[in-house]
Formats: sequence, structure tokens, C-alpha cells
Amino acid sequence: MRHLLVTAAFCLASTAAQAVDISAAVDEHILPGYAGLAEKSRQLHAAAEAECRPESPALLAAYGEAFDAWVRISHLRFGPSEQNNRAFALAFWPDPRGATPKALARLMAVGQGSLGTLDTFQTVSIAARGFYAMEFLLFDAQFRAAEDAETRCALVQLLAADIADTSADILAAWQDSYADLMRNAGSNDIYRSEAEAAQQLFTAASTGLEFTSQVRLGRPMGSFERPRPNRAEARRSGRSLRHVVLSLEGTRDLVGHLSDDDAQIDAAFAAAIARAGVLDDPVFAGVADIQGRLRVEVLQQSVETIRQVIAQDLAPRLGIAAGFNALDGD
Amino acid sequence: MKPFTLATSALALSLGLGTAAIADGDVTKVSVLDNYADIAEAGFTDSLVMAQRLQRAVNTLIEAPSAEALQTAKEAWLAARVPYQQTEVYRFGNAIVDDWEGKVNAWPLDEGLIDYVDAGYGGPSDENDFAVLNVIANSSFTLSGETIDAATITPALLEETLHEADGVEANVATGYHAIEFLLWGQDLNGHGAGAGNRPWTDYAAGEACTNGNCDRRAEYLKAATDLLVSDLEWMAAQWAEGGDARTTVMADEDAGIIAMLTGMGSLSYGEQAGERMRLGLMLNDPEEEHDCFADNTHNSHYYDGLGIQNVYLGEYMRVDGSLVTGPSLSDLVAATDADLDAEMQSRLSATMMALGRIKTAAEAGFAYDMMLERGNAAGEALIMGGVNGLVEQTRSIERVVATLGVEAIDFEGSDSLDDPDAVFQ
Repeated sequence: MRHLLVTAAFCLASTAAQAVDISAAVDEHILPGYAGLAEKSRQLHAAAEAECRPESPALLAAYGEAFDAWVRISHLRFGPSEQNNRAFALAFWPDPRGATPKALARLMAVGQGSLGTLDTFQTVSIAARGFYAMEFLLFDAQFRAAEDAETRCALVQLLAADIADTSADILAAWQDSYADLMRNAGSNDIYRSEAEAAQQLFTAASTGLEFTSQVRLGRPMGSFERPRPNRAEARRSGRSLRHVVLSLEGTRDLVGHLSDDDAQIDAAFAAAIARAGVLDDPVFAGVADIQGRLRVEVLQQSVETIRQVIAQDLAPRLGIAAGFNALDGD
Repeated sequence: MKPFTLATSALALSLGLGTAAIADGDVTKVSVLDNYADIAEAGFTDSLVMAQRLQRAVNTLIEAPSAEALQTAKEAWLAARVPYQQTEVYRFGNAIVDDWEGKVNAWPLDEGLIDYVDAGYGGPSDENDFAVLNVIANSSFTLSGETIDAATITPALLEETLHEADGVEANVATGYHAIEFLLWGQDLNGHGAGAGNRPWTDYAAGEACTNGNCDRRAEYLKAATDLLVSDLEWMAAQWAEGGDARTTVMADEDAGIIAMLTGMGSLSYGEQAGERMRLGLMLNDPEEEHDCFADNTHNSHYYDGLGIQNVYLGEYMRVDGSLVTGPSLSDLVAATDADLDAEMQSRLSATMMALGRIKTAAEAGFAYDMMLERGNAAGEALIMGGVNGLVEQTRSIERVVATLGVEAIDFEGSDSLDDPDAVFQ
């Protein structure tokens, strides 16, 4: 009898979920991340207004810093970033049908005088907006060589203004209302319990890791017979591997909040980041040969390990499972 | 008076029994799964029957080409989509369906692989060297260094060689959308109303033949249609008593319930709300329509949504008008949380209303590609209405997962997470 009672008590203890400090995640991960993005994007806009040539070192540096700020929080695909398609407006990729260069070519053909204001620009195809579109204007050989430098300049400035505007909107929406929705989970209809808010954050981290593994790394890897180095993310600006690292650092920070800084989980992140650090293949060009592909595959495997650890260890501890995400489907 | 009393007591009795049965937990996961498999069997069998009708219409078109025969084949294709779209909810979560689905419903496609296209279509792209292969006009070509003999267009050539040629998913050589292209041709109306307008003489014999190679085009159409029928035959059999798909679903009741909910959630959110609806709107691209050649996208969205509702309510209206019905997820949820069941039902209904509005407007002439046009506020509102409904219902599906205590929708169990090329990012 006594034995039975002990067992029952143990069961109860193990089903009581570990609590997540949602407010800390909001105040220390989400809000600083979006504030950084808004500030760097504002600086990018200022740099583009000052000097819009693709050769401008100040512009390229500002572009890199703003893009970095985005990638660090690119896993936060819910709430204000989803509303009005803001995250897509900042970052449309992957682009398997080449919509971005096509849409930009159409805008180049329109000519500087007819591009319109920021308001009208914000109704163009999402493929022509954001960091990945700007990469084409600044780094793609064809766009850099465009004879109509004035239209390209106007486009660079419009894209920068749009990025700054969208980033500021996301930050404002978080500060004005969405942060409180999460902090007060359990007393509103979006998050009916703290568990629902924790699930949202967990889904964001887990989807971000899945994206890094399956898309950032998986796309250029292609199949063993047919590697696809040209599908590497932001390869024109040499940022492919950098994005993997930034995104791992960003999700590591969020998962730290969810796991109460669990040392074992953090070690899995550290291992993956260390592997990325020694890869020495900034745009995954190496996937074209067997040795190089193997090295990228090892990195991918270490990201998969993190996914497994958080799904099998962290999620049950929190009493939740990952929700549905945009990568479900085909 | 007497008969009335009798009827009333009979009703009371049956209601009482029903309530008692549910209260006693008679609606079991096993009975819900049984009904889920029955609906799949009915849906895939209906899809097969309608594909066989399409096959007869295609054979008539090929044997005696005419404008009427082409029209009859198009109508048969449209009708065939009605049951098929309702089965899509079975894809995600049932690996056997997901692994097979690419053969029958792959999309989007680079149609220049198959037949002639307009000059504005462009040439080979960065992603696809075979975007304009045009196998109907070429009886021999080189693929990955190998010379391919395409003198006769057979189901085997389409299935084994051309489909996903060079590992590119846009090389869709088989299935509904390849057939759709062969019946309608490209939709060159841009954001204007109107579907593809392939002349029936593309299948005419001798001098009357337009756009060349009419005999090879007919051969292709027949091969693709025959393949569709045999693929659907196979899938219907998998859901019959003793079939692999049914056996797998019934093998583990929790895993089976997870498969049902994974199918509902993945189709709602990542696939339909994301890739199929919001992406096209954000890109303002009429080629992002799901059934773009036939201008049938409003129906494809509507019946996809209906399939999701079918799975929750445990009901399916067959093409002959009979209703398959039985124990449902709704019953299971209601037994533990009646409010959540009401919420789930109302959100599914709200989505169907929103998808119904798209269908209503489209059938009255406001075509789906017009809705996608840049700056078309009414079209955007219609499409976003559907997207928002699907996103909202996904939240409720997640709550159902938590309530039923089958919380392990983990990434190993969900085949849909294996695909690296999701566009909705």
C-alpha cells in the first residue's frame, strides 16, 4: 500500500509541468531582438539615403548589420511579424521559382520616375521587398551592372525605407499590445493559459531549428547525386553559413529561457555552433564534392540533434508539444 | 394520437441510449478510426470512379476529336476533382498517402516540359534545365547525359523517366495537373477572367491538327489518364479492409488519432493557408493558382477545406449522394470538453463560409486570378478571409491535440516535416 502511494505521488510530480518565465522571454529575448532590428534597419535606411551605390562601404556594412539583426530573430514567426505579412515583407526566401529577380526586373523596367511612394511600393509583390531582394540589387552581377543606375538607386532607397518601416511596425505592435498578451497569458483569448504561450515560443524555436536544418542547409545539399550549391541562402553576399550561426545563436537564447538554462541542451547548441565555426565554407560551395557535402551533413546532423533533444526532453518537461508550423505541407 | 406517442417514446429511447452510450465512453478511439478509414476508402473510391469517367471521355476525345468531346472531358476533369480534393486531408500524417500523392497531384509544374507554351513563358531556368523540354514535340532528348527514346509516350515513360526529371519537383509529368494542362492549355489571361483556351484541334487528325504532334499529344493524354486511374485504384485498395493504409491507422489508436489531427492541422496551416493561398496573394502571381489552367482554384480550396471538416465531423457526402457517417473526433472531444468541441465546430464552419464566399464570387465571374491582382482590395479580403479562418482553426486543432492527451505530434511521426522545400517561409 505504501509502495502504491509513493508511486502515485511520483506520477503527480512528473506530470506537473515545469513553468516557463514568459515575461523574461519577452523582455530579454523578443523585445531586445526587435528593438535591435528596428534600430539597425533605421540605420540602413539612413545609409541608403546618404549613398545608394552598391559599392558604398557604409551602405553594405549597414545592410549586413540589419540583415544580421533579422536573422537572429527570424524564428519568431507569430503575432506582429505574421500580421500584415510583415515577416514575408522583410524576408521572402526560399524562392524556388525565381520570383525575386523577376519582380525586381519588372520594377527596374518601370523606371525611376514611376516607382511611386513608399505607400504604393508596399503593394508590390512581396518577392521584390526586404533583405533578400536588396541582396540582388547590391550583390547580383546583373543588377550591379544595370545601366539604369538611377532606378536601381531609387529602388535601394525604397527597399531600405520599407524595411525600416516594417521593422518599426513590428516593434511598436509588440510594445503596444502583444507583449502584454504573452505576459498575461491565461487572461486573454489568444493565450488561454501559460502553457499556450509556452507552446508558441517552443514552436517558434523548434520551427527555426527545422528551417535551419532542412532549408538553410538542406536546400544547397540537395540529394547526394544532385547537390544544389546555387540554392544556398544569400550566397551572393556570402552570408549562407553566417545565417546558420546567427540563427543557432538566436534560438539558443530563446531555448535557454524555455529550459531554465538547461546545461545539456545548451551543450547541444554549443556543439552545433562549434561545427559551423570550423566549416570554412561560407556559401556551402563545398556541397558539390563528396568531402564537402559530408562536412555540411555533419553540421546538419548536429542541428537535428538539438531538435531531437528539445522535442524529446524539453517539450515533455514543459507539458507541451510543438504546434503546427509553416513548414508542414509540401 | 397513439402512433404519435409511440414515435415520441421511440425517439426518447434512442436519444437516451445515445447519450448513455457516449457517457459510458462508447465512442472509442478505435470506432473513430474505423470511420476515418471508411471515409478514406469512400473518398478514394469515388475519386477512382470519377477518374474512370474522365478516362472514357478522354478516349472519346482521342478517337473522335471534336469541340464537344473536349468540353465533355473538361467537365469530367472538374467533377473528378470534387471527391479527390476532399481526400487531401489524408496526406499529412499518413505516410503511405504522402509518398504517393506526388504522382497524382503534384503542383506547381513547369508545363513546358510537356507541350508547347507561349513565348512569354521563358526558357530553361536556374532551377530547371528542362522547363521547356516539350516531350510531345521531341521523340528523343538527353536527360542527365543519357539519350531518352520517347518515340512512344507510355505510362512508364511518364512515371519512370519524365516525372521529377533531374530531381526537380516542378517537372510534373503525371497526375491531375498534367491532364488539366493537356485539356485546357496555358491560361494566358493574366489577371483577367478566363481559363486556358486550348483548341480541340490540338487533338485533330491530319491537316486539321493545330500546334503540331496531335497524335503524340493524344498519346500523352491517354498515358497520363490511364496512370491516374491505376494510381487511384491502388490507393483505394490501401484503405479497403486489410489494406496497408487502414491497417497502419488501426494498429495504434493514439498514433491513429495523431495522424487524423496532423492531417487536419498541416493542411490547414502550412499547406492551404500558407503555400496555396497567402503566398499567391503576396506574390500577386496568377500562376500561383492551384488549378490555374482550368481556373478551378476556388473549388480546389473549397473542397480541401471541406475534407478537413469531414474528418472532424466524421461525415463524407459521396458522389452518389449517400452519406458516410459514424463516430467522430467531435464526439471524442465533446466527451471531455464540450466547449472546445463547440469552438472547433464553429471555426470549421467559419472557414467553410469564408471559402464558400471565394467560390460564390468566382462562380459569378470574379475569377480567382482577378482576386490575386495587386491592389485588388476585394479579392485580398476574400482570400485573407479564407486564410484567417484556416489559421484560427489550426489554433483550435492544437487545443484538441492537448485535450485528447495525444500530445506527441513529434517530428518523427509527421512525414510532412520531411520536405525541405516548403515555400511558405
